[in-house]
Amino acid sequence: MQTFELNTTISNLRSLRETDLSQYDAVYLGNIYCRTFQENFLERLDDLSEGIAQVKDRGLRAYVTTYAAPRNDALPKVQKALETAANVGADAIEVHNMGVLLMVHEQFPGLPVHIGGFANVYTDAGAAVLKEHGAARFTPNYEISLDEIKAIAHSVSLPAEILVHGKMPLGVSDSCFLLEYESQWDEKCPAVCQKDLFLRQRDWAMRSVGRGVLSGKDVCMLEHLPALVADGYRMFRIEAAYETPAYRFNLARIYRSALERVAQGDNTVDELAWHTVRQHTAVGLCNGFYFGRTGGEYVGSQGAAAEVCWLGTR
Amino acid sequence: MTAVTGASDAGHRTLIRAGGIICSRPAVYVCCGPGAISGLATTLTAYSHVAAGPPSAERRTTLLAPGGSVEAAASAFEAGADAVYIGLKGWSRGGARNELDRGQLQECIERAQGLGKKVQLALNIIPGTPERKRLLHELGEVAAWGLHAVIVNDLGVLRDIRRNLPELAITVSIGCGALNADDVLFYQDLGASAVVLPGYLEPLEVAAIKGRSSVAIELMLHMVEEFAQLGKCWMPSYYHFAAAERIQPPPRLDGSVKRGGVGTCFRICQQPWKLLRDGVEVDNRVLPSRQISRLAELGEFLEAGIDVIKIQGRSLSPEMVGTLTGRYRSALDAWNRGSRLDWDAASLPPMWTVQGR
Repeated sequence: MQTFELNTTISNLRSLRETDLSQYDAVYLGNIYCRTFQENFLERLDDLSEGIAQVKDRGLRAYVTTYAAPRNDALPKVQKALETAANVGADAIEVHNMGVLLMVHEQFPGLPVHIGGFANVYTDAGAAVLKEHGAARFTPNYEISLDEIKAIAHSVSLPAEILVHGKMPLGVSDSCFLLEYESQWDEKCPAVCQKDLFLRQRDWAMRSVGRGVLSGKDVCMLEHLPALVADGYRMFRIEAAYETPAYRFNLARIYRSALERVAQGDNTVDELAWHTVRQHTAVGLCNGFYFGRTGGEYVGSQGAAAEVCWLGTR
Repeated sequence: MTAVTGASDAGHRTLIRAGGIICSRPAVYVCCGPGAISGLATTLTAYSHVAAGPPSAERRTTLLAPGGSVEAAASAFEAGADAVYIGLKGWSRGGARNELDRGQLQECIERAQGLGKKVQLALNIIPGTPERKRLLHELGEVAAWGLHAVIVNDLGVLRDIRRNLPELAITVSIGCGALNADDVLFYQDLGASAVVLPGYLEPLEVAAIKGRSSVAIELMLHMVEEFAQLGKCWMPSYYHFAAAERIQPPPRLDGSVKRGGVGTCFRICQQPWKLLRDGVEVDNRVLPSRQISRLAELGEFLEAGIDVIKIQGRSLSPEMVGTLTGRYRSALDAWNRGSRLDWDAASLPPMWTVQGR
């Protein structure tokens, strides 16, 4: 029987408590974009301890993610979060920043490192350097294709984690432009980024999260799971840091079911699953850059679902 | 005055003093980011060396200007640049617009050598395996012409160059996203000679970084800060992953701005976007960006210990490169003489913007 890992991201304890994790194997705890994200695990170390314990109590692996672009002022807190992760028994640290990678590598060599998407793994040579610094797996930069990912993973003997569903990170910022709206919306940080915020231009859309920008469309690799499994991928992520508990659960249920069928040689996806996927997509579907094409395109049978369809119109 | 704002479990402490930084490599994390600066900013008084006398003659800060053309490089040298950085056709991020061919690069290197100045080569694409081999081969040739340093944008390229061309200085591009002291230590350990940091860092942050590392610190004091950080943005390719301009050799990589694709950054962040909140349009705007020109704070950054003042803008005209470089040269010379700087940021011409990279 093939074993898979299906994981997701949860930024705070409240959201963790509200999420049914029964379909997952692992959870990344923390918000990589913003130190002031509401009750961010990375800033509330008691919550982080509790979160790790809760995840492990449910029989899942607990990973701690870290900031995508920390300046010096964030490092003391990162240090404390790493100490907490090590003390409480986190199963791995996700690293996007080379400084944080160095901290883990030198001070917590026992903690496996997962390289995150903002670490910019584009080539086998880059991945090899990261492996020497303790990388146990990598999420490739989102811009590279499955062919390139496969070549890197094979060349470096480093397993890749694949984002199979959710909003793909497109950029990270040093500042939050949503703060400009605090008075206008009569809402203060950290509540201001908790709304559904989209940037729209013609049929283009991006999800704004203040200090970051995500794809407006949801990456969806559901119908391509058999090919991913055939290529040897076993670790799959549903990126849901800014999604609802219902999103996390329902999408995980679909992907878990699909993975189990793939393991039994059944590569079909039932229509009910597609209905659920469409229900949880505000703007449409895409495949990211996996097929060497523009990130917002969709390759496959669900082209209609890939078309931009704005909030409230489905 | 002494301020201690953070310490590791090992008990190491970092002491920030008005005159410098005392610290050691082991895990010492000092709150010197934007949130922690306000209370300490006055400790690094601008131009305090005026009272203390001119800085040590043994420390010389390099003024590094863009050379998007032979003419721009010449203009930069004439205006007082100590070095220019140049892109070689096919091998630099931002496309072919502002790259030089091999003959032009050699001409610039010879001109620099005649003036006692230097040339850095911006090899800041991220090449795939086949391209990397060609890049290393070509780099070996041009390095022999007297190249001072190469600017890289990828860990793998850094490692390959360090192994294959051990004498060549390597600068870590701003596109690598280094922001903190441990970032710099990471690249230092890999064999980098210098690391470029963004100009939106504050003097205390730079001082803290400088205090913990031994590589040269280049600060891009004149640059455009766009909404997404350099090297951590693939918004353009999400919408338009340009077909490759398949010239063999040198190759151009598909679409990606980060990797060095052709003309693919179409400034999507600077186009008007409707902001929808819970499905309702609440604004129509561009994503924030700003021109950073920190000439007025040059003294603080020099006291923080920067080794290189870098001016962004290989797209700038020779005239503008000359004007900009001259201003920074004057300010740097004034500081070196112990004179007070009187540049007012508000007086900087609004035309001093970087029109593209």
